[in-house]
Amino acid sequence: MIERDGFSQDAHRYLDGEPYGDLGGAEASAADRLTAQAREFAAGVEPFGADLDAAVMAAVRRRAPARRPGRLEWLLAPRTVNVRPVWVPVLAAAAALVVFLAPHRPAPEAPPVVAARPVTDTVFVHFELAAPRARSVSVAGSFNGWRVGALAMNRGANGVWTATAALPVGEHRYEFVVDGTQWVPDPTAHAVVDDGFGGRNSVIVVGPKGLVRS
Amino acid sequence: MQLSDGTIVRRVLAGDAEQYRFLVERYRAEFGRYAIATVGDRDAAQDAMQEAFIRAFDALATCREPDRFGAWFFRILTNQCRNVVARRRDTVPVEDLDPPSGERADAALERGELGEALEAALARLTPEQREAFVMKHVDGRSYEEMAELLGVGVDALKMRVHRARDAMRSLMGAVR
Repeated sequence: MIERDGFSQDAHRYLDGEPYGDLGGAEASAADRLTAQAREFAAGVEPFGADLDAAVMAAVRRRAPARRPGRLEWLLAPRTVNVRPVWVPVLAAAAALVVFLAPHRPAPEAPPVVAARPVTDTVFVHFELAAPRARSVSVAGSFNGWRVGALAMNRGANGVWTATAALPVGEHRYEFVVDGTQWVPDPTAHAVVDDGFGGRNSVIVVGPKGLVRS
Repeated sequence: MQLSDGTIVRRVLAGDAEQYRFLVERYRAEFGRYAIATVGDRDAAQDAMQEAFIRAFDALATCREPDRFGAWFFRILTNQCRNVVARRRDTVPVEDLDPPSGERADAALERGELGEALEAALARLTPEQREAFVMKHVDGRSYEEMAELLGVGVDALKMRVHRARDAMRSLMGAVR
């Protein structure tokens, strides 16, 4: 049952630590009593202990390995290989890049890479994201341990960020990481899958003959 | 030197999930009293806070300002506390949630249990009033801190606190 009105504006100012005018003794006493009760209540609250930390971290550990899809998942996944026209020039450029880089590789005892050699286990894949307001963009995926910044992208004059990576044959999942924290799926990806945590991972399939489906 | 929230968030997102413990320790201490006071039951408040931390971990990549993780987490916690209070109202007998009768409150005051009387009155406030009152008078925060945490303007928060105080005075005055 409510039998009284609330505080006057001066009492509220008093309680807020602001300049106040005339405050009757009864109202000042009521205001002081309220703050005393709040202080007593606060003093009586026993803080949560380390058991809460342990419970949270146990849940985190159960989730952490699944936070990003398993790195070997693609080994077990069925593979389909198609090619989109957009990738043809990229693959041609990748083959040219292999030829260009071969003489500079610091492994003289290794057999030289030749252009005629078919690329059967690794394919150069070109990533692209238009993000004109981003300060940094990288690609994190199953192929680099989902490490933010492991594959940094370069900003073009038009605000389009690009990067090229040599990916092994298989299915890979990835996302762009904008400004180090914002995970963004590839808007041009052929397929996206739920990462189980409310996010969407993009999927790219690299075939044994250098064919790519993204 | 204590790591910043942003550094910890970035490390967790980069795969070092164990770093999340530092955030849990930091904000368990910072917001624990708030959770207990707003939920009104210690065990239920701990469940709410635990769930809030797990939800925050799951959604960490969507935290737009990692250096302000605390404010971001606080909003998750507030929602979680509100959900718990709503669920408890659905399942716990009303007499266990509502403030004690005049006789019970009088008895509490006679025993000098001012805090208990306040806790009982808090349960009668609206969620927004209760949160504002707890932040201001139990946690002792400034209006500016409250605005930062809640994303609400100072004037609106003052209004909530004033209404909460008025209600508290009426509720507690009724038993004196």
